[in-house]
Amino acid sequence: MSLLEVNNLEVRFAMRKEELVALRDVSFRLEKGERLGIVGESGAGKSVAAFSILNLISKPGYISGGEILFEGKDLTRLSLQEMSAIRGNRISMIFQDPMMTLNPVLTIGTQMTEALHAHHDISREEARQRAIDGLAEVHIPSAATRFDQYPHELSGGMRQRVVIAIALITKPPLIIADEPTTALDVTIQAEIMHLLMELCNNTGVGLILITHDLGIISQMTERAIVMYAGRIVEEGDTRDIINDARHPYTDGLMGALPQKTTPGQRLNQIKGGMPPLNGIPDGCAFNPRCPLAGDICRSTFPEYTTIGTTRVACHMAGAGDP
Amino acid sequence: MTTGTKLQRLLDSAFYHDFRRDKVAIASFIILCIYVVACYTAPLIAPYNPYDPTIIDIMDSEIPPAWLDGGDSRFLLGTDAQGRDLFSTILYGTRISLTIGICAVVLQAFLGISLGLISGYFGGRVDNFLMRLADIQLSFSTLMVAIIVLAVFQALFGTELYERLAILMLILVIGIAEWPQYARTVRASVLAEKKKEYVDAVRVIGLRPMRIMFRHILPNTLSPILVISTVQVANAIVSEAALSFLGLGMPVTQPSLGSLINSGFEFIFSGSWWITIIPGVVLILLVLVMNLLGDFLRDVLNPKLYKN
Repeated sequence: MSLLEVNNLEVRFAMRKEELVALRDVSFRLEKGERLGIVGESGAGKSVAAFSILNLISKPGYISGGEILFEGKDLTRLSLQEMSAIRGNRISMIFQDPMMTLNPVLTIGTQMTEALHAHHDISREEARQRAIDGLAEVHIPSAATRFDQYPHELSGGMRQRVVIAIALITKPPLIIADEPTTALDVTIQAEIMHLLMELCNNTGVGLILITHDLGIISQMTERAIVMYAGRIVEEGDTRDIINDARHPYTDGLMGALPQKTTPGQRLNQIKGGMPPLNGIPDGCAFNPRCPLAGDICRSTFPEYTTIGTTRVACHMAGAGDP
Repeated sequence: MTTGTKLQRLLDSAFYHDFRRDKVAIASFIILCIYVVACYTAPLIAPYNPYDPTIIDIMDSEIPPAWLDGGDSRFLLGTDAQGRDLFSTILYGTRISLTIGICAVVLQAFLGISLGLISGYFGGRVDNFLMRLADIQLSFSTLMVAIIVLAVFQALFGTELYERLAILMLILVIGIAEWPQYARTVRASVLAEKKKEYVDAVRVIGLRPMRIMFRHILPNTLSPILVISTVQVANAIVSEAALSFLGLGMPVTQPSLGSLINSGFEFIFSGSWWITIIPGVVLILLVLVMNLLGDFLRDVLNPKLYKN
């Protein structure tokens, strides 16, 4: 049994005039201890996918189809109470901006022990000890002092460490990290990624890493998903996706990396922008921006084809290297 | 490193720093402290007990303050129409006024904060219902509601029962009539706080809505609550005084500042001005220092108004 299995997930947003489909036919699985990356532009549906796993999409969004099997249980069918028992206990989440995700008026310690108290019958002393151990685990020096401090007394990188410690404190089998380093500078980013990697290896926790940085994906993950306009366009082993992208969108993302450009030249880019959810073109959603687009791409919705380890939704993928 | 006792933290804080530079705030705070200490130790420092009818001598009535012609050194601020020592009566009266003010505001705050939090957090129909209720409540003035309720109560249950329950009734009426002030302020802050990521983060931890509301969102809305609280205590005291002045508040046997002002009012043209004016000044000063402290808090707690 996989740790997490998402089948044909569909999420819609009920707007005043129409229903917008934010995620369509999203399916993927995650084995125990596996690290999965999700990449895509802003608005591709990465965060919606993450929030729907925790059943926390806020109105007007809702899950309109498909199932999310976590340890064999379908999360879309659980009651509020059953879901609360999973959130923070079996699945934790790390957010983008550590400046914003910690409550400014509560001490680090209070915020850390909260998850423990919410899910376990545990004494204050014991909770305190586990929190301090947790802080030490993410390499925060003088953890016992930090325990009683407020978020404003810590630097950005420190805070993200605290956030990671909070996510890990209940020892969940799955952590979802939604762009965990976007708000941090590059050196801190490397430290945090290194830390996450280390923790994954030590504790065997599964990780879903959402980012738009392909560099991070290639370093951190074993498998990767590329999303575009609410759909998975390519999925497979990270190495294959990075080295041998099948979908022209993935290829475009790779081409846009600064390393692919000689200094002085303009950076490569994929022309145009992601279509809005209410204006997704017929056929393949990527066709207006695709360099390979042919007639079939404008008329027919691309189904998935499997090539080697990767699954790709593109008419042109089979026809030689894009 | 900011370790140390809570007191040390307070002394190091920007709040204390601002306070020390603001002479008006210091003066207001000192005056307020004198008020609070004096009125709650009234039984110890007052020379007479105004509630004890046996020591009141009608022959002593309407004696002017000690420093005027005809003054009596036994009665520093003179006596009222019944011969009670005005100084003692004012101390006891201030105690009643402050108690009613504070308790009424605690009740207002309790109602307003709970309903405001629920309204802001859950939104939708609940929010609509509660806020329309608040609008309706606000469209009646506090005094009007209070006058109607208290008058009906007096008419139904008689003055005797009313006099016994006067303090409680005043607290209830003033407390319930003003909850929308809190509810609206809290709701507005909650709407702003709810959008912040830390709320998502605690939802992800799996905390229950109650805990998220009271433990996480509420502390972040405390500064506006603190500011309106000081002003609301002053308002409640004024409301109580107005009701007592109209004869719907504290009975003359157990006067608050308002009923004291009222009881002297009929003598003001016969020359006994002190029975009205002195409690009046005491009341005005009390309300004034509270408002000044409220202004100070508002300035300090509002980051947009930082002065350097």
